[in-house]
Amino acid sequence: MSGSDERRGRSGEEGPESEPSSQGPALGSDPFEALSDAEPLEKWLDAAEQLVRGRAAPAPESDDAVAGASIRELLDARPAVGPGRGPTLSEVELPPATGFLERMLDEDARRRLEALIEALPAEGSYDRFGLSAGALRSAFPLFYALYRLYFRVQSEGHGHIPAEGAAVLVANHGGLLPFDGAMAAVDVFLHTDPPRLARAIVDRWAGTLPFVNVFLARVGQVIGTRENVTALLEGGELVLVFPEGIDGIRKPIHQRYQLQHFHVGFVEHALRARAPIVPLAILGSDDQAPILYDVKPLARWLGLPVAPITPTFPWLGPLGLLPYPVRYRISYGEPLRLHERFGPDAAEDPALVRELSAEVRRTVQKLVDRSR
Amino acid sequence: MPNVLVTHSDEPLGRRIVKLLWHDERIGRIFALGSGAAPRAFDSFQAGGAARFEYARIELSRHRPMSDFFRSKRFRECGIDAVVHVPQHAVALEAPPLAGSFSGRAAEARLVLHHAVATGSIGSLVAVGSAFVYRLAPGNANHLDESSELELDRDPGPGLRPWIDCDMLFHGEIGRRRLRVVLLRLPTVVASGGYVYLHPGLAGRAGPRLRPLGFDPLCPVISDKDAARAVQAALHSDAAGVFNLAGREVVPLSVLGRWTRRPCVPVPGLLLRAAGAGVGRFLREPLRGALDGPHLRYGFTLDTRRAERELGFRPQYRIGLARTGDGGLRLETARA
Repeated sequence: MSGSDERRGRSGEEGPESEPSSQGPALGSDPFEALSDAEPLEKWLDAAEQLVRGRAAPAPESDDAVAGASIRELLDARPAVGPGRGPTLSEVELPPATGFLERMLDEDARRRLEALIEALPAEGSYDRFGLSAGALRSAFPLFYALYRLYFRVQSEGHGHIPAEGAAVLVANHGGLLPFDGAMAAVDVFLHTDPPRLARAIVDRWAGTLPFVNVFLARVGQVIGTRENVTALLEGGELVLVFPEGIDGIRKPIHQRYQLQHFHVGFVEHALRARAPIVPLAILGSDDQAPILYDVKPLARWLGLPVAPITPTFPWLGPLGLLPYPVRYRISYGEPLRLHERFGPDAAEDPALVRELSAEVRRTVQKLVDRSR
Repeated sequence: MPNVLVTHSDEPLGRRIVKLLWHDERIGRIFALGSGAAPRAFDSFQAGGAARFEYARIELSRHRPMSDFFRSKRFRECGIDAVVHVPQHAVALEAPPLAGSFSGRAAEARLVLHHAVATGSIGSLVAVGSAFVYRLAPGNANHLDESSELELDRDPGPGLRPWIDCDMLFHGEIGRRRLRVVLLRLPTVVASGGYVYLHPGLAGRAGPRLRPLGFDPLCPVISDKDAARAVQAALHSDAAGVFNLAGREVVPLSVLGRWTRRPCVPVPGLLLRAAGAGVGRFLREPLRGALDGPHLRYGFTLDTRRAERELGFRPQYRIGLARTGDGGLRLETARA
C-alpha cells in the first residue's frame, strides 16, 4: 500500500466531514459509529430533498424557525448573529396579515415591522443579546396598541434621530415600570426609515427577574454592561439609555420631571464609539404611577430597588402597579456631537466625562421643561 | 509534521478529532488514547499494519498507568511532539482514589500536563476546555472574552468544578517556554443527530431535564466538526494561550433542549434549590448549582476574535433543525 493509499486506508469514501445516513443512529448511541457507512453530504442532501419534495410536507413539529427547513434552506438562512440594515419602507413587500394581533396594525406599521424584521436574524434565530424576530413580531402589536390607544403618544423632532449608524438616545426616566423606554422605542421605530430598533439599556437587576429577563432580551432590550453597550455601538445600533437609572423611576411625586444624578458611562461610550448623543424628553412617565412614598427599609429587606406607595398601590394589589392612562409626549432634541469636540481619549478623563455628562443632563432637563 | 497524541479518543469528540487529523497530510503519526476498546471507526486507520496510527487503552486519571505509558518504548518510538487533551465526556462525581481531592477530569488534566512537561520532547499541548468556566452576570447577554472573570466561587456545583479546575491547571502553564499550551474554551458542542457535549446541564443521555422557571439562557453552540477543526488549527499555529471558540448560532436553552431531545422542563427556582439541597444531603455531595446554577439562568455569547486572528479559525458549520428523508426533524450540522 502506498503512502497515500495508506493514509486514505479503507476510509477513502468516508472523508472526515462525511455525514451519517438520513435515518441517523439511534439516540443515546454513539453518533459516529455509523460514519463508516455514511454517504457524502451532497448525496445525502439530494436524497433527503427528493424525498421531501415527493410527499406533502408535514407540518413542522415545533415553532423553531429552521424547523421544517431543508438543510439547504438552513444554509441559506441569514446569519444568526450580527446586525443588518433593513430595507426602506418603499422596498418592503407586504405579506397579508396573519393572526389577530397583526390585523390590529395599520398598513404603515405592518410595513415597518416587516422592514425591521428583514434586518434582523432570521426568525427563530437570536442575536447575541437574545433578540428574536419572532418575539418582536408577536409583542409589537401590543406595544403599538399601548402607544396609540392607551398612552396616545405625541412626539416631535424626529428629524434628529440618525437614520443610520450608532447613536445614543439619552432620556429622562420615571414611572415605576419602564413603559417610557417601550414608548420611546416604538416612537423611534415609527418615525425612522428604514425603521430602527432602539436598544434600551436596562438595569442589571432586571436580569435576575424570572420571565422579565427573557421578555426584555427577546424584544431587543439589553442588560447594561460596558461590554454590551460597546458591542451595540460598534454594531452601529441605536442605544437608548436612562442615565438616572433606578433613581429616576423611584423619585417621589414632588420631584417629578426633575432629573436625578446622571451616571456617566454613556458619555464614555459615546466618545469612544464617536456616536452622537440625542437628548430625549419623555413626558407622561412621571405621571403614570406617582410615588407618594418609597419605603426604603422594606425595599432593602425584599431586595427590591423600590417599595412604593402610590395612590393605587398597594391598595389594589398588583393591579395598582399598572400605569395610569396618561398622555405621553416625546421630544427629540438637537444631537450633541461631543465626539466632534473631543477625541476618544477624552473618555479616559473622569473630570471631563463628568462635566460632559452634566452638560447632557442640563440639555435633557431643558428639553423636559420646554415640553411641559 | 507533528506527531500527535490524542486523549479520550474513544469518545465522540476525541474520535472526531482523530478522524480529522488522520485526513490531514500535515500531521505525522497519531497516537490515540482511550479508556475503552478501540472504536470501530478506527479499524480502517489500523488496517494493513499501517504505522501512522496507534491506539492504546489507558486510565488517564491514574498515575501509574500514565507514568508507565509516557516512559514506554512504544511512546518513545512514536516521537510524539504534540498532545491534544480532550476531556472525558461523562465522569462519575466521585474522584478516583489516587486523585486526592481532584475530580476524575481534573486528575487526568493534571497527569497529562505533568507528563507533557516532564517528557521534554513535547512542544505543544492543546487542551479542550469549557466556556462554562466564566462567571455569568444576571441577564441574557454576557459577552465574554478570554479575559473575562472566571467563576471562582468556592462551590460552583459538581458540574462546573472540574472544568474550572482543569482550566486553571492549563492556564497556569501558558507562560512556559518549552511547552506551548493552547486552551480552547468551547461552548456546548453539538453533533448531527442531536448529540450534545460539554453543557453541564444537558450532558449525558437524551431525556428530560429541569431548568428554572422564567429563565431561558442563550447558549452558544458549536458543531463537533468545527471543534475538531479548531483543534487542528491550534496544532498548526504557533499561538499559545486561551481561545474562545463558538459557532455562528446562539439558541435559548429551551430550544437547544428540544433540538437535542433533552426537553428542559421549567420548574420554579425555589423548588429546584430545595430539591438540589435534599438530593445533595442524601448523596453527601454538594449539589448547589447543579439544578439551578447560573448557567441555567443566565446566557452568554463568546468573543471569538482572538481565535480568528491568531488561530485563523472561523466556524464553517451551520447548526439547526433540518428535515430528514423520512420527514422527521433532527439537529443537523452542515458546511455553509
